[in-house]
Amino acid sequence: MHTPYRRGMNAHLIPTTPLFDRELIAQYDVNAPRYTSYPTAPHFRTDFVEADLRRAIRMSNDDPIPRDLSAYLHIPFCMSPCYYCGCARIITRDRSKAAAYLARLYREIEQVATCFDRDRRLAQLHFGGGTPNFLDAQQLLELVESLGQHFSFSRNAKREFGIELDPRFCDEAYARQICDAGINRVSIGVQDFDPAVQEAVNRIQSVDETAAVMAGARAGGVRSINLDLIYGLPRQTPDSFARTLDQVIALRPDRIAAYGYAHLPERFKAQRQIDKYDLPDATTRLTLLQQTVEMLTAAGYVHIGVDHFALPDDDLALAAVAGTLQRNFQGYSTHAACDLIGFGMSAISHIGPSFSQNAKDLVGYYAALDNGHLPVARGLWLGDDDLLRADLIQRLMCAGTLDIDAFEARYPVEFEHYFRGSLDRLEPLAADGLVTRTANRITVTARGQFLLRNIAQCFDAYFESPGIRYSRAV
Amino acid sequence: MGHDETKSGRITPHNPIADDGDEYQFCSTCAFGAVCVGRGLDKIGLAELHCLVEHVGPYRAGESIFRTGDRFGAIYAVRSGTVKTRQVDLEGRELILGFYLPGELVGLNAIHPEIYPCDAIALDKVEVCRFSFPALATLAMRIPQVQKELFRRLSKDIGDASVRNQEASADERLAAFVLDLSARYEARGFSPQALHLSMSRGDIANYLGLASETVSRVLRRFQDGGLLTVDGRELTISNAAALKDIAKNLLHH
Repeated sequence: MHTPYRRGMNAHLIPTTPLFDRELIAQYDVNAPRYTSYPTAPHFRTDFVEADLRRAIRMSNDDPIPRDLSAYLHIPFCMSPCYYCGCARIITRDRSKAAAYLARLYREIEQVATCFDRDRRLAQLHFGGGTPNFLDAQQLLELVESLGQHFSFSRNAKREFGIELDPRFCDEAYARQICDAGINRVSIGVQDFDPAVQEAVNRIQSVDETAAVMAGARAGGVRSINLDLIYGLPRQTPDSFARTLDQVIALRPDRIAAYGYAHLPERFKAQRQIDKYDLPDATTRLTLLQQTVEMLTAAGYVHIGVDHFALPDDDLALAAVAGTLQRNFQGYSTHAACDLIGFGMSAISHIGPSFSQNAKDLVGYYAALDNGHLPVARGLWLGDDDLLRADLIQRLMCAGTLDIDAFEARYPVEFEHYFRGSLDRLEPLAADGLVTRTANRITVTARGQFLLRNIAQCFDAYFESPGIRYSRAV
Repeated sequence: MGHDETKSGRITPHNPIADDGDEYQFCSTCAFGAVCVGRGLDKIGLAELHCLVEHVGPYRAGESIFRTGDRFGAIYAVRSGTVKTRQVDLEGRELILGFYLPGELVGLNAIHPEIYPCDAIALDKVEVCRFSFPALATLAMRIPQVQKELFRRLSKDIGDASVRNQEASADERLAAFVLDLSARYEARGFSPQALHLSMSRGDIANYLGLASETVSRVLRRFQDGGLLTVDGRELTISNAAALKDIAKNLLHH
């Protein structure tokens, strides 16, 4: 369900209780990027090549205090296709495929690791997919061990080693066992517990299976468990989704992510299996979102931003209060700015002022590594304008506020003049009460908390790029 | 994909760039600016000095301004950016000799051998003024202020290596290095607190005779102790007094 993540900068949060303004949100239900990166992935270019990635790594080693490292490992295989999925994945039941993939993954780790100076600490590790538990526990333990040989793992207790698990294809013992590799965060896909919905999206998963994997992870010492939900799926009704929410709340995960389903069948083949007449209409989608917010809030969860919720004592909620929240490819993170290395098919790296994405298919990924190359397919060097806007969007989405004086002190720009076009675009949003503007501050209001994507979009210089379709904001 | 490190990807708000001088006014960072400013160098003298100056560049990061063994013909004043000088031994090992900021002179150590004894490499986008040396020497004989300034610079260049004292601890060397940069920026009218470090940590380590990891470890410790903050290549001094205290044995040189 996840895509890889990006580093960012921290800022101060002004905690506000989000206000769900139904009419307003309906009005802003347009297509907008989720801004897990800026510029967004569709703007990556094919003239960014292996040599660029190597240079970006070299440059990152050269800083007086080089950033810590964060590794994302993509395991692209899934046993069964979920029809809503828009991720880069390969459907197979043939577990032997893992060995061929791992051979390349090891090669990539080895090659990339030699580019980084040895004193750079790996503070964050995440397995995403596809389905990471397509690997058996032994394979996973060996993979982490190999990473530990090639990188210096941070010994800080705050290091985050996370994995996405599909409870249909692993069990309590597996979840407990992988904790031996240092896994301390688990994210479990649920989407919806209603049988009719599960049938429509081809993902049959019981509450018991889910609870068992959670129990295993907790027994293994996992500090934080996340459950993923999706609203807007076929056959979902407010009643059915309320039952799912009740069941999820009863499981008491530390974090909950509730994503809006983006139906883009022309882009994602699997989604063509979904009957569009089964999809809830815009009004129902809004009701689904509203009840998600209301029920989770009533159950004691804090809205972190966009689609993320957490219990008040979870690291994510604490980071939000402390102003150290980061936005990355997986949504939000508690870690300070890291250089991100993406390993595996389609994985994205974000090192210094660069993005770099690996080949999106197995053939290309294998061929590059078999020929002694890093599997870079495309990427981007961020220019000064990109960096400026990335920082600004990061601050608005994580802290909900932007100190304009501090921004001007940081960058050689005259804010009002430089962002004239963006501020014009922001004007109607301010008039609608999504943000407030003073001479030296832009602040997201309680109403605006649910429309961060729309607010960020005002500052997106690529905003009107033709031919790129994003999912709906709500 | 072509990428100019100085143009994209590193926003450097504090990187000083010299303004252009004219016939009557030197660039604000000019190496010889002090010769005339407030010392009553007459306009003819100033104009003559200008005649021997040639603006060269920009050089891109990694390009050399002169190389070891080149025939000595000129000294260079940095107008913008940072230059490092280095020697490379037969095994290819690099030894960094120094870093030169806007307003500082590169190539003084070539006057005697009449060939450059080192490479001068641009660390970022660099512009320089080229002073033809025979002409400058002639002028120095005629204008005492120019000669005095030249001698002052020469003796300073020789005495600059105290931060590399191998007897000193890593903390002492790094504190002295940061304070030295700060004083040099300040001398040219830039902020003594906000420093842009164009040199890599490997270069800093090499120059100070330390390991790269040590440079980062000590800076991180200084940062944790509230002495300074480092954000990418931007270093901000927050407690100069504490740094001075650490570096006091080196600063007395």
